[in-house]
Amino acid sequence: MAMVRTPLMFARLPIGGRRLLFGLAITGICLAVAFPVLWLILTSLRPESGVYYVHRGTEFTLASYAEVLLDERLIQAFVNSALISTLATIFSLLVTVSSGYMLSRFRGPAAQTWFGTIYVFRCVPYISWVLPLYFVAQSWGIYDTYIGLLLPHIAVHICFFSWLMKGFFDGIDPSMEHAALIDGCTRWGAFIRVALPSAIPAISALAVLCWLFTWNEFLFALILTGNKVPVITVVMAQFVTEMGLRWNLMAATAVMALVPAFLLALFGQKYVIRGLRI
Amino acid sequence: MAAIVLDKLNKHYGSLHHAVKDVDLTIADKEFVALVGPSGCGKSTTLRMIAGLEDISSGEIRIGDRVVNHLPPRDRDIAMVFQNYALYQHMSVYDNLAFGLRNKKMPESEIKAAIDRATEMLGLHELLKRKPRQLSGGQQQRVALGRCIVRNPLVFLFDEPLSNLDAKLRAQMRIEIKRLHAQLPTTSVFVTHDQVEAMTLGDRVVVMKDGRVQQAGTPLSVYGHPVNKFVAGFIGAPAMNFLEVTIAKEGDTVVAQSPAVKLAVSEASSRALEAYKGRRVIMGLRPEHLALGDGVVSRSFAATVEVVEQLGSEILLETRVGDARVTAARVPPETAVAAGDQVRLSVQPGRLHFFDPETENVITA
Repeated sequence: MAMVRTPLMFARLPIGGRRLLFGLAITGICLAVAFPVLWLILTSLRPESGVYYVHRGTEFTLASYAEVLLDERLIQAFVNSALISTLATIFSLLVTVSSGYMLSRFRGPAAQTWFGTIYVFRCVPYISWVLPLYFVAQSWGIYDTYIGLLLPHIAVHICFFSWLMKGFFDGIDPSMEHAALIDGCTRWGAFIRVALPSAIPAISALAVLCWLFTWNEFLFALILTGNKVPVITVVMAQFVTEMGLRWNLMAATAVMALVPAFLLALFGQKYVIRGLRI
Repeated sequence: MAAIVLDKLNKHYGSLHHAVKDVDLTIADKEFVALVGPSGCGKSTTLRMIAGLEDISSGEIRIGDRVVNHLPPRDRDIAMVFQNYALYQHMSVYDNLAFGLRNKKMPESEIKAAIDRATEMLGLHELLKRKPRQLSGGQQQRVALGRCIVRNPLVFLFDEPLSNLDAKLRAQMRIEIKRLHAQLPTTSVFVTHDQVEAMTLGDRVVVMKDGRVQQAGTPLSVYGHPVNKFVAGFIGAPAMNFLEVTIAKEGDTVVAQSPAVKLAVSEASSRALEAYKGRRVIMGLRPEHLALGDGVVSRSFAATVEVVEQLGSEILLETRVGDARVTAARVPPETAVAAGDQVRLSVQPGRLHFFDPETENVITA
């Protein structure tokens, strides 16, 4: 167990006092983090006229949810977001895992060039990719298609998460793979049969992160999709209309969009924490 | 039946680091050779080149009658025990043991028989269903040994397998490995930085430094006749004492003297030291060859006790002799001696070693 040093200012307090302070601090932080979410939920439950007086209204309704759930475009957006997130996660992991492994285990010009490429991409601000991607998508004829949104996401994941994966593999002792090489495996076999199973917690963690990243992503989706491929983050923003702001609908959609992400994080956090630790 | 021959073996990392330099070594069939040296001396690199885990920069490795330079590890018919056990963490002990055999497409019934034999030998029966992380260090290393045994390979390679274990367990495993080698005589190369392990396990000890083999020989010959100052200082514990002395002749006898020491030299050494008369050389004295008290002036010298280390079975004395520190071992434990005492330390003339101060090689006739 790591040694916890009590800060000097607390050292003179009795144990009970220290616990109390600690509890207060934790509660404070939790409230601060949860407050926007609570506000969002409250907003979603208010009737249209009540959204500006969330803090003193007493009237609650599920009408916003009903309206959202009857909107075909919104349902389509949910399906699309889930599909794109899942596909992007699967395809990017296929590359990320092997590329992270290569960066961790191999030296040489190929690995170095790959490392340099990823590094450069990471240095470029995320937002500056959007416009070039739009032109590329237009000229390839993949604007407003699944593939047009999937490809950039996969690319981003590979650049961002190969590093993380490298870190995971750095933490796995390579002598296990050496033993496998001696025990009759090829280099590829040692990777698949020995390194990969040991990295499963890390890969699960990465899968959760990838999925959430795409599910929550707004900028690419806004620029690279039009009417044919609605995704949830973009549809949510479209409640800002010329006719006015439909805050209650936006909040209801947001709460519904939170649910899958929340569930995933809830069940996946065990893996995320264990994965980030190895 | 497999001898290992290393022929002018070299390993370069880039242009700057020359890790293994012209290593020539022949390891006989069924021989147990211990490669020993300080960290960075190239011993592990040499072993990994034999295993095929490192490329060879130049030279040749033969196992049995095959040149294996370009064979991948899986085709060399070797087994290796690693320092950190390197067990497959996601597999049970049984699957760990079976992994190599399944790769050979051996039928499950034969695999089971082989594993039964190995578990019998190593007492692993109760552990077969467990995962490696549920085992202690000693148990894990035993499983790693088992993984080698079941394969029945031509060669066993050990890469510091005992250094992660505590002292007591290390001594136990040392005996276990020795017993195993007696039961299953297989050509073995054992890398260690611990000279005690090397001396106790090896039929032959190969001392390495800076990528070169310094000396290869039986434990006794390396201990008794070190070829240079490095080997003399590295093998033996406590380490050999070194004193700078001048060679002179007094009447018929050759003496080695410094301001604080004057010792008569044996006849054999006298002949060897003929050419060094009037010159300074380095004299080596093993702590265990120094005895406390002896009236004969020509083979003893005065020393001031600085530290007394009582070990129960013996006393270690740290003493000051002139400007130098000299350790004496094997002093009987009941001897009444205290820090600050003036004592005389004596040594048999035949036990003295002499080294050239420039080349640091032993001076022989």
